[in-house]
Amino acid sequence: MSSHHQAESDIALRVKAIELLLVEKGIIDPATLDTIIDAYEHKIGPHNGARIVARAWIDPEFKHRLLADGTSAIAEMKLTGFSSEHMVVVENTPNIHNLIVCTLCSCYPWAILGLPPTWYKSFAYRSRAVIDPRGVLQEFGLEIPEQVEVRVWDSNADLRYLVLPERPPGTEKMTEDKLAGLVTRNAMIGTAKVQSPAAPID
Amino acid sequence: MTAAQAEELLRNGLSCRAENDTFAQFQVGDCVRARVMHPQTYTRLPRYVRGKVGIIVKDRGVYVFPDTVGQRLDTKPQHVYSVQFAAQELWGTNAPANDTLFIDLFDDHLEAV
Repeated sequence: MSSHHQAESDIALRVKAIELLLVEKGIIDPATLDTIIDAYEHKIGPHNGARIVARAWIDPEFKHRLLADGTSAIAEMKLTGFSSEHMVVVENTPNIHNLIVCTLCSCYPWAILGLPPTWYKSFAYRSRAVIDPRGVLQEFGLEIPEQVEVRVWDSNADLRYLVLPERPPGTEKMTEDKLAGLVTRNAMIGTAKVQSPAAPID
Repeated sequence: MTAAQAEELLRNGLSCRAENDTFAQFQVGDCVRARVMHPQTYTRLPRYVRGKVGIIVKDRGVYVFPDTVGQRLDTKPQHVYSVQFAAQELWGTNAPANDTLFIDLFDDHLEAV
């Protein structure tokens, strides 16, 4: 995002200096860094999770396997990977709303959702999501009715979590690809619902 | 790490599952208490569940123990369980009666009630 007209921030300069030193000392290989950066910029991201959700919406048998054993069902789609080795998928229903947090640090299913958003790593989210999940969800614009059970999942150990959001009404005729386009990162963390498509689908 | 190794790591990940099975201290449905302890060293047992009573809802299998691995000690493989706590057990009666919290705890984090 930096342009030639803008001075680089202190943190960017510091990172650059550290990187230069590490490369100079032969501790890291620039080609390795490029591989990792390219993977997270171009290959890995919430679109992977969205494909899993869309598949579950259209294929009841896949959904059954996904909820029973997230790791092996996701492996069928070849979407497992680093920091998504042991996956648990939890389903939102009209009676249950799931929310994912890591209170200890920022554990997150990287291979499925990409790198975690800044707010997910913030002390405020990590502490408040467990003690006041409904308050946090309200700030995300999500009012959870009193009769709906809120389930918070703390990914403190080695398992990583993905929320299977409810399929919105008005999407009955949509293809798997189109459905995947509706699914947002936040809906798979549990801080949003998947919205119905704005325009009617032919 | 070479670029090829990085690619393989991104694709295959790094499993924390232990190869050997060990005896499970608890069964699904057991009532358990998260131990009250205050180690000076690394632990995956957050303070907010210590001393609280929950129910084992699933045995996740056997994993290496980050509390000791983090100190470069024994891998101490043990069972990890999904433990469900009522929001009211954790936060008191002002919390909604039906809300719950699930957390993954190791054998060494738990005691029978």
